[in-house]
Amino acid sequence: MNVKINLTINGKSYSDEVDSRTMLALYLRDELGLTGTHIGCDTSSCGTCTILVDGKAVKSCTMLAAQADGSNVTTIEGIAQNGNLHPIQEGFKEKHGLQCGFCTPGMVMLAADLLDRNPNPNEQEIRHALEGNYCRCTGYHNIVESIQYAAEKMNG
Amino acid sequence: MTYIGKSVKRVEDKRFLTGKGRYTDDIVLPGMTYACIIRSPYAHAKITGIDTSAAEGMEGVVAIFTGKDIAAAGVNGVPCGWQVNFKNGDTMKEPPHPLLVADVVKHVGDNVAMVIAESREIAKDAAEMVEIDYEELDAVANAAKAVKDGAPQVHPDAPGNLCFDWELGNPKEEVDAAMDAAHHITKLDFTNQRLIPNAIEPRSAIGHYESAGDKYTLYTTSQNPHLTRLLISAFVLGIPEHRVRVVAPDVGGGFGSKIFHYTEEALVVWASKQINRPIKWTAERSESFMTDAHGRDHVTTAEMGFDAEGNIVGLRVNTLANLGAYLSTFAPCVPTWLHGTLLQGLYTTPKINVDVTGVFTHTTPVDAYRGAGRPEATYLLERLLDTAALEMNMDPAELRLKNFIPPFDGVEQEGYATQVALQYDSGNYHRVLERALEMVGYDDFRKEQAEARANGKYLGIGFSTYIEACGIAPSAVVGALGARAGLYEVGQVRVQPTGKVSVYTGAHSHGQGHETTFAQVVADKFGIALDDVEIVHGDSESVAFGMGTYGSRSLAVGGSAIIKSIEKVLEKGAKIAAHKLEAAEGDLEFAEGKWTVKGTDKSIGFGDVALTAYVPHDYPEGLEPGMDFSSFYDPANFTYPFGAHIAIVEVDKDTGSVKLKRFIAVDDVGNVINPMIVDGQIHGGVAQGIGQALFEGAIYDENAQLINGSYMDYTMPRADDLPAFEIDRTVTPCPHNPLGVKGAGEAGAIGSTPAVVNAVMDALSPFGVKNLEMPLTPERVWRAMQ
Amino acid sequence: MKLKGQHNFKTTPDVLWDKLMDADTLARITPGVSRLDSKGEDIYEAIADVKLGPVKGSFKGELSVLEKLEPESFILNIKQNSKIGNVSAEVHIFLKPITEEETEMSFDGKAKLSGLLARTGQRVLSGVANTLSKQFFSAMEEEVSNASLS
Repeated sequence: MNVKINLTINGKSYSDEVDSRTMLALYLRDELGLTGTHIGCDTSSCGTCTILVDGKAVKSCTMLAAQADGSNVTTIEGIAQNGNLHPIQEGFKEKHGLQCGFCTPGMVMLAADLLDRNPNPNEQEIRHALEGNYCRCTGYHNIVESIQYAAEKMNG
Repeated sequence: MTYIGKSVKRVEDKRFLTGKGRYTDDIVLPGMTYACIIRSPYAHAKITGIDTSAAEGMEGVVAIFTGKDIAAAGVNGVPCGWQVNFKNGDTMKEPPHPLLVADVVKHVGDNVAMVIAESREIAKDAAEMVEIDYEELDAVANAAKAVKDGAPQVHPDAPGNLCFDWELGNPKEEVDAAMDAAHHITKLDFTNQRLIPNAIEPRSAIGHYESAGDKYTLYTTSQNPHLTRLLISAFVLGIPEHRVRVVAPDVGGGFGSKIFHYTEEALVVWASKQINRPIKWTAERSESFMTDAHGRDHVTTAEMGFDAEGNIVGLRVNTLANLGAYLSTFAPCVPTWLHGTLLQGLYTTPKINVDVTGVFTHTTPVDAYRGAGRPEATYLLERLLDTAALEMNMDPAELRLKNFIPPFDGVEQEGYATQVALQYDSGNYHRVLERALEMVGYDDFRKEQAEARANGKYLGIGFSTYIEACGIAPSAVVGALGARAGLYEVGQVRVQPTGKVSVYTGAHSHGQGHETTFAQVVADKFGIALDDVEIVHGDSESVAFGMGTYGSRSLAVGGSAIIKSIEKVLEKGAKIAAHKLEAAEGDLEFAEGKWTVKGTDKSIGFGDVALTAYVPHDYPEGLEPGMDFSSFYDPANFTYPFGAHIAIVEVDKDTGSVKLKRFIAVDDVGNVINPMIVDGQIHGGVAQGIGQALFEGAIYDENAQLINGSYMDYTMPRADDLPAFEIDRTVTPCPHNPLGVKGAGEAGAIGSTPAVVNAVMDALSPFGVKNLEMPLTPERVWRAMQ
Repeated sequence: MKLKGQHNFKTTPDVLWDKLMDADTLARITPGVSRLDSKGEDIYEAIADVKLGPVKGSFKGELSVLEKLEPESFILNIKQNSKIGNVSAEVHIFLKPITEEETEMSFDGKAKLSGLLARTGQRVLSGVANTLSKQFFSAMEEEVSNASLS
């Protein structure tokens, strides 16, 4: 069964018909070609598909595209402003917070949500916030530092 | 040096940070179809019937293939790339590993049929409509059970489930004699449990046959696309290698699991020709659990003998290595040549004997996983040492320092010849441990520990000092040991007419940052900007050949191949420069991107020389135009990184949970090109090693069903399970490669596991607990304390 | 996986035996079972829908009754297949009179699981099996009390 959805993704309006069982992650990847959002598991455990829906971090592999009707979605492709890296993206680059890059989009989007809720997180708060996202490359050490870097920068 | 030795920020990061990475599953080709592999739900069963009719009738189903189709087409199974012989000289047992099984399935997840459809969803729906009848047979998952009389047999032509038996080191009688004379023997029986690599990107493969040019393209999540091309064309599908292109684009982590040639790669290529359309297959995580080659899985008895002063006098090791149901690409070499040869460790042990039996079971194939054999060797040595220290009432750090091989640089002093077939290149083992002890504040910690115990808190400290054989590998040596391929690397340096440089490497980056590190080397050697260098890898169409990335080999072997080509460029450049400057070649020097006539200000830049090579109007007589060199580098020896890791834990008496409070790692990986990237490699390796110690482990039930095959059941370290790591380095250059580098990819995973387990055992020593099986889950630890 | 349980009913072994040997009753009281068709003596074809924590599936397969020792014991052989994995089980069922009006029904057996069911269901399964047997016993209780009313 198809359903009609209207939503904003990275500042652009979309009006689409999707199969009612299509997950948001697959809609982004297969229909819109926004392949920066990755899929790493089938149990919503890895967090590599994390995006922002109305500003909140959501695992897009467990949300139906139909549920996103009327919402404002931001993916990794939409977080940089005017061609400049977002401070979180910059933090990951400066502090070597990524290696293979596969979990990275989810980590960046999660960090955006965290810093929105808590602009000055300490190390334990960051580690706790990262609990739903797996990284197999970095041991999280530099991801924590990347987010600290971003927090400092965003707090000016 | 402008770049070498600096923490240059990574070139590749921008695309990954903006969602522009291009991983295999991101690729969409016109007319693409999607495959779903139907997998056996049983560990061992006879297929008695397959009915595909209902599925074939579904709208959107393109084709369904079964084992009968594969057999009828005469397609071979995937081969093994390493041969280990039985002690009596017989060849190892090497049963076929079919792309789709026609008769008897041998592990949960074994391929039974492939459904191809217009979309992933249709393929999956149709797969559910295929009716398969099985007659379930008895199965065995555990290596120790598989070698018992009457155990279910995996392959009819591998009696007793034996693949090979193998021995290395001093003759058994000599080692027995040394052990008989020992003052003290420490003995441990344990399992080095099976791990599931779990790169966050699931495996994926796209096969694309184009009838126009009779050309096959495979996009795949591979650590070594050229090897996959060689195997798929020469051994599996029998199609000419020059008609096959293999591309490994951005790859989301490998850790060994993406080295191997997998059945799905050959299936999509073969089937693409049958249906004349591209086919994509991407694993769901549950398929990754069932079909990515697993790691470790040794059942070991290890004994170490000491004299009255605590000097090691002998080591005896007996291991059963679970190889799974089929031989994965490098499976036989992992528990043998990558394990037995490392049992010298950092110590002067005079007599060593290791005996390994490779065993088939009804489980997922086992192969190299980060460290591959070396973590297993290190684990047994380092557990023995800490246990021996406890038993002999000695300090574990002092016991190590006493038994270390004295420092040698491999230049002034010769390399160290081990009892187990290796010649260590260079090492200063005292220095790494002393530095780690300094960082941890050892004396203070022992006081803190005593006070904490008095207050009912259980702190523990654990040591691990390791060595690994990396920079894999000298071809002649590995050839003698059973490798069916050379392990050199290829590096091509193409200087473009404008002086920009393209470098083609056979190494493959899936997180290691080659696009940055290699570019740092090239830019410095040519005296040009980092931006003017591009590193190309992962495409058999552009890179001449390559052996890929694993065994911490990329810079030591791949980087050395690039250096050889750089030298050829500079040699030719000097000829052109001499001609242009009207000077003798011997009077020139090359520095900061230009050739200068010594003692004058006459010079010509790298870019001008490059342009001259491509516009050779005024040019040395007899010299070929162009500036493009390719080199093969075959290393003279392995490289031997080493280090000292220390863990501090606190065990909760009431719950048994282990809190890792500090982790100190001092590693020596030789010279370092990019410290930031090396640190990152250490962090990641340490986290995986801690994962083995505390969290991870595949569990099979008595029917050989994998019962923790999902992220809900298989535990990996999350951010708040780990502390911030405290790391440092010493530098003992490798004496036999031009960059003096040793490799850093596996160090963390090799050193960390025993440090953590030793720390927990130290914390539990008041309870009289000496040995516990990994992972050290709260339940296991709590039970041990009762 | 081990299956074990017991329950006391206020009735005689004969009444329970008749209920257990009647396909319609069994289909009605066995949790998840939607159909039970006789395929011959003591062999039934069963269709069941079962939800096990994160795992949900439709099962189809055979039940057979072996080694009948009326009214004391029998063996129930279960083979059920589904897209999420297969179950095979052998369960020994005993009816033991306690008093003239009370009977203990107990079962003891082993189940083998495969596929997704084994991979992700196993850890919650013994809990689920307990729940299912409780449901079965209470439905049987109702049957028994209805029978005594009628």
